Amino acid sequence: MTDVAIGTGEAVVFWILGPVALAGALGMVFSRNAVHSALWLVTTMLSLGVFYVVQSAPFLGAVQIIVYTGAIMILFLFVLMLVGRDSSDSVVETLRGQRVAATVLGVGFAGLVGAGIARATRDTGIEGLGDAGGTGNIETIAGVLFTRYLLAFEVTSALLITAAVGAMVLAHIEREPGSRQTQKELSRARFLTDRPQTLPGPGVFARANSVATGALLPDGRTAEDSLATGIEPREVEQMPRPTGRAQLGSPDAALGTTDEPR
Amino acid sequence: MTIEAPDLSLAALAPLLFVFGAACIGVLVEAFGPRDSRHPVQVAVALVGTLGGLVTTVLLAGTREVTAGGALAVDGAGLFLQATIAGLGALSLLLFAERNLDPARSAFVVSAAVPAGSVRDRELLTVQRVQTEVYPLATFAIGGMMLFVTANDLLVMFVALEVLSLPLYLISGLARRRRLLSQEAAVKYFLLGSFASAFFLYGVALVYGATGTVRLAGVREAVAGAEGGTLVVLGLALLVVGLLFKASVAPFHTWTPDVYQGAPTPVTAFMAACTKVAAFGAILRLLYVAFGTEEWTWRPLVYGVAIVSMVIGAVLGLTQTDLKRMLAYSSVAHAGFLLTGVLGLPATGDAAGSGLPAVMFYLLAYGLTTLGAFAVLTLVRSGEGEATHLSQWAGLAQRSPLTAAVMSLFLLALAGIPLTSGFTGKFAVFRAAIEDGAWPLALVALLASAVAAFFYLRVIVLMYFSEPAVDGPTVGVPGLPTTIVLAVTAAATLLLGIVPGAVLGLADRAAIFVG
Amino acid sequence: MSVTHYLVLAAILFTIGAVGVLVRRNAIVVFMCIELMLNSVNLTLVTFARATGTIDGQIMAFFVMVVAAAEVVVGLAIIMSIYRTRRSASVDDANLLKY
Repeated sequence: MTDVAIGTGEAVVFWILGPVALAGALGMVFSRNAVHSALWLVTTMLSLGVFYVVQSAPFLGAVQIIVYTGAIMILFLFVLMLVGRDSSDSVVETLRGQRVAATVLGVGFAGLVGAGIARATRDTGIEGLGDAGGTGNIETIAGVLFTRYLLAFEVTSALLITAAVGAMVLAHIEREPGSRQTQKELSRARFLTDRPQTLPGPGVFARANSVATGALLPDGRTAEDSLATGIEPREVEQMPRPTGRAQLGSPDAALGTTDEPR
Repeated sequence: MTIEAPDLSLAALAPLLFVFGAACIGVLVEAFGPRDSRHPVQVAVALVGTLGGLVTTVLLAGTREVTAGGALAVDGAGLFLQATIAGLGALSLLLFAERNLDPARSAFVVSAAVPAGSVRDRELLTVQRVQTEVYPLATFAIGGMMLFVTANDLLVMFVALEVLSLPLYLISGLARRRRLLSQEAAVKYFLLGSFASAFFLYGVALVYGATGTVRLAGVREAVAGAEGGTLVVLGLALLVVGLLFKASVAPFHTWTPDVYQGAPTPVTAFMAACTKVAAFGAILRLLYVAFGTEEWTWRPLVYGVAIVSMVIGAVLGLTQTDLKRMLAYSSVAHAGFLLTGVLGLPATGDAAGSGLPAVMFYLLAYGLTTLGAFAVLTLVRSGEGEATHLSQWAGLAQRSPLTAAVMSLFLLALAGIPLTSGFTGKFAVFRAAIEDGAWPLALVALLASAVAAFFYLRVIVLMYFSEPAVDGPTVGVPGLPTTIVLAVTAAATLLLGIVPGAVLGLADRAAIFVG
Repeated sequence: MSVTHYLVLAAILFTIGAVGVLVRRNAIVVFMCIELMLNSVNLTLVTFARATGTIDGQIMAFFVMVVAAAEVVVGLAIIMSIYRTRRSASVDDANLLKY
């Protein structure tokens, strides 16, 4: 095949989307909020998708946008929303000076690999894919995929089964028969007890509505029913019991059934 | 357009078909089998699959064939390693199946989806059911490993790497006791593992860019034709880094102690034995087949990494107080010894050099010994599970002379004392290195073995010459599966030490790569 | 402008991803950084496919996507399970949900 030259249009696309992709990557690493990170990554992935289309891989470009940004990143966002947006607690140990060391290492790695690649490919021409990169792209991919890479293709099924089984193992709680009652059974059982109504919440004169403090009955005792199981009841300083008419006022006055002037 | 079907030799694929088939049947059993009989059925399916794989590899002995459109190389070395993986895998599955040791009847969790520490979790702790998905998952991992050592193509190698890794990430988080630790091990292993496979993949991409192909033979031709240059060197370095990670070679070993400690002990045994074999099988094939003509590029890298690994493994192993962590560092040190043998490359492609058979023998011997050592660890238990702290092992010989004797045998073999398989293996790899002129490396390896021997012997001394602790651990009576594992591994450790001739000869004859 | 531009861009993206893995502490963000690394490898593969005139690179990129999808499922499931435990380890001890 003859060498293919890169046209101006492609150069324009590269110089616009290249910085966008780079900004997306940097944004992902630097944003504090994990959701922002995910959205930055989507930007990069979309730019890469366009690069694929430009570089005679239209099918891959479409798959990149549909599968990667459309499915995989959405999965990421789902999980982020499930575990809480502000989930910033770490499972990786933090080491002192790790950031600096990692950055230095990174710059070194980029310099080494980037310079190496640049030097090695400086004079590389572009063979080009011809029709295989255009209208015949999907046919060509299929042809090679099902012959030369048949084994790899078949083995990926093992990968997908593993993924499905794994997700099920870690996320699906099996209900044993009889271990969980239906709503109907629950309400029937409830009405067979002495107390079909809800348990009492904080009661008269309660100073706190925390689950750890019980409700007070009118006579000052704690209502045992209102205490949550499994929590140590907490003593709360009670409101001083009002005594005497001076504080309470006369009941008649409160009810307005007296002739006394207020 | 017409597509011509690629050649597929079902005979050559039979071991893989057996193992992957068993894994798929296991998944179906999980879906449709009655709950009560799942555990025995799963164990049977997984064992039939792996043992079937073992038998078919033995039947295939002597085959030299490149099949599946050139993606799979079934050759002597590949079959030897496949048989090793299948055999060690079957033994590990027996450890998985042990029901007698833990009062809760298994090392695996009842339901991994129930959050650790919740009320439901505590209720389930004593339930006899097990998350039986571990068996198909482990079988998938074994299949991936068997594919990994016969992959004749960098892409298949990458896919196989993932096929073997993903189930391992999952099952290392399924411990019944100390679940948080186990889950953390899974997260750590997963993040670092996929980090390493990204490097491997970048290496594949660069090698592909330099040579225009990913077939190992094609790469070899292109590299010999002096194409690529810088790209090939960069790509090779990245590929090797990815593989060294899986083989837990220092300085890419940081995950090893944590994951070995956190994972359920049968899984640790499985990882220590089988993953090591698979990773080294792939390293050997990659370096010898694809880059055999480019020895000058990888020789310094392997040389340096071998030294670092031996030194780190031996020195840090000294400071450990937990037996599982100690065995993890021992595995790092052994990875260094294995690399010493890798340097003994046959002078020309398929002429029998001493490096390849030596490493193959070492892998078999080390796999059996380390599997046995971890099996002994499952026996010694205290109230909250396995007693892995060193101090708990004090005076174990008085409590259970047999356990202490078997453990001593394994530790002596790991240390490389004569009349055990460890000595034969070490002798073989060091000889290979010296024959290849790497005698300084062999010297470092000898010193490292001496240092490492110290921490193995320390455990033996502790078991025999210390007063047992008052509230020491109890030694459980193993059920049939663990007994089989201990018997097989102990017998093999002794036999490979006393009469290694037959197996050494087999490794010598099998040490051939095609592709 | 030549393929080198694409390749160097990919190398830089790969490095940013790798550095991100080392400096970020949120497991999910670390995992996103790994995805970025895989994406940059795909760009490299597609570029090399065009440069060498072989379709293999595109097919490999395709495989990388499949593998990444499987990896994401497994990885997020593992991360989910540990987050679920961590959050509920303190709260689930108490049976707060009275009827």
